[in-house]
Amino acid sequence: MGTAGLIAALPWAAHGRLPDRLATHWGSGQDTPDGSMPLWAASLFPALIWLALTAIVFVAQRRAGDPARGTTRAWTAAALLSGGILLGGAQASVVRANLDHADWHQARQPTAWIVVTLAGAAVAAGVVGWLVNSRVAVSAAPATQEPSGPVLEIPRGQRLVWFSRITNPWLHLLAAVAGLVAVAALVTLVSGLATAGPLWALLAPFAFTSLAVAGCATVQARASERGLEVAFGPLGWPARRWPAEDIESARAENRTPAQVGGWGYRLRGLGTTVMLRSGECLVIRTRGKGREFAVSIDDAERGAALLNALNMTRPFLRTATVLHGAAHTIPKTTK
Amino acid sequence: MLLRLDKRDTRPLHEQVAGAIRRAIAEGECRPGDRLPSARDLSAALDVNVNTVLRGLRSLREDGLLEFRRGRGVTVAEGADERSGLLNQVYALVTEAARLGYSRTDLIEMIRGMA
Repeated sequence: MGTAGLIAALPWAAHGRLPDRLATHWGSGQDTPDGSMPLWAASLFPALIWLALTAIVFVAQRRAGDPARGTTRAWTAAALLSGGILLGGAQASVVRANLDHADWHQARQPTAWIVVTLAGAAVAAGVVGWLVNSRVAVSAAPATQEPSGPVLEIPRGQRLVWFSRITNPWLHLLAAVAGLVAVAALVTLVSGLATAGPLWALLAPFAFTSLAVAGCATVQARASERGLEVAFGPLGWPARRWPAEDIESARAENRTPAQVGGWGYRLRGLGTTVMLRSGECLVIRTRGKGREFAVSIDDAERGAALLNALNMTRPFLRTATVLHGAAHTIPKTTK
Repeated sequence: MLLRLDKRDTRPLHEQVAGAIRRAIAEGECRPGDRLPSARDLSAALDVNVNTVLRGLRSLREDGLLEFRRGRGVTVAEGADERSGLLNQVYALVTEAARLGYSRTDLIEMIRGMA
């Protein structure tokens, strides 16, 4: 409510130095405005958008119910804060652009302000999500602590390998769209159709987004005697490897993007999650630092079971595990 | 999908690789239309030379279990699941016959004589 008041009051506070109609819309890449609103509409319109946003968020939170409170809180905080900064920043940009002009046609596009606003909103969403999540994660950690995950039985003399692959078509689409924008900007830049400054600002982030998203749109995992390897992107590069002896334990766990702070490659206090869809994730705990790495992938249960089994048959642990492992494995493998 | 190689198996390695994939298809580990891991990945995970893996994959294509598609890699062919189970039994039959001293032609004669 306070934010709505602030957004609505901002144009009024400066109305002495503003024209009758405020320029409120600029075409992309154009300096002159192509849309305007009277002062009262310019003050009420963003405030109404804000109220609608808060209403939607609160209804969503109500419907999620008690069990999901912890995860929806992250969504709520991130959506409200970034939405607030976005709308407040847009309103401030509009007012600033119109300041001290007699007519709305003279208002210039506040590019720098828009960029700052967008960046601020994105950073705020990320930081809030991360803060809330690390708090949720810490409080939830003891519950997910299991002594050991599932163990697959490896018949004597057999070599088992496990493969799994997952793609998220939405992320592919996003990567393709971002790539298209980057290529379009590059072509315009090379052909010299427009000034270089704004085009670089367009090209660099979109090219980066496209590559980063494409890298997380497809993930392949394989578990073998050599350990776990997780390869990103359609080309299987870059990839991360964990030798079998570095993996303390593995398990399958259900995780959602809200828990880990979104889709893609997510870092947080307890470890890393590669999130492509909510649901089954393969989680490994590394020896030594006890950090966790998780990847959302199908058939994670058996992947974890194989990694645990490989762990148990490792030579220097054999003396410890053979005592209770031999009793039930030998009768089954002898004919 | 889970692949199994038997370290005590004495058959040539490319046949073992083909056998492991045939078994995986028969057991529903990968379904028709699914994409197989690349030959390079299979080779690294199974600790078998890439060319050996490729030879195994090619023999499966000749059996009609796999399809090689440019740009899409190696996929499991339509109807491969049923065919794979049958083929496994045929291979087992041929191996058992060889152990008992019957050639493939002997087997074919036996099958012809069944009518």
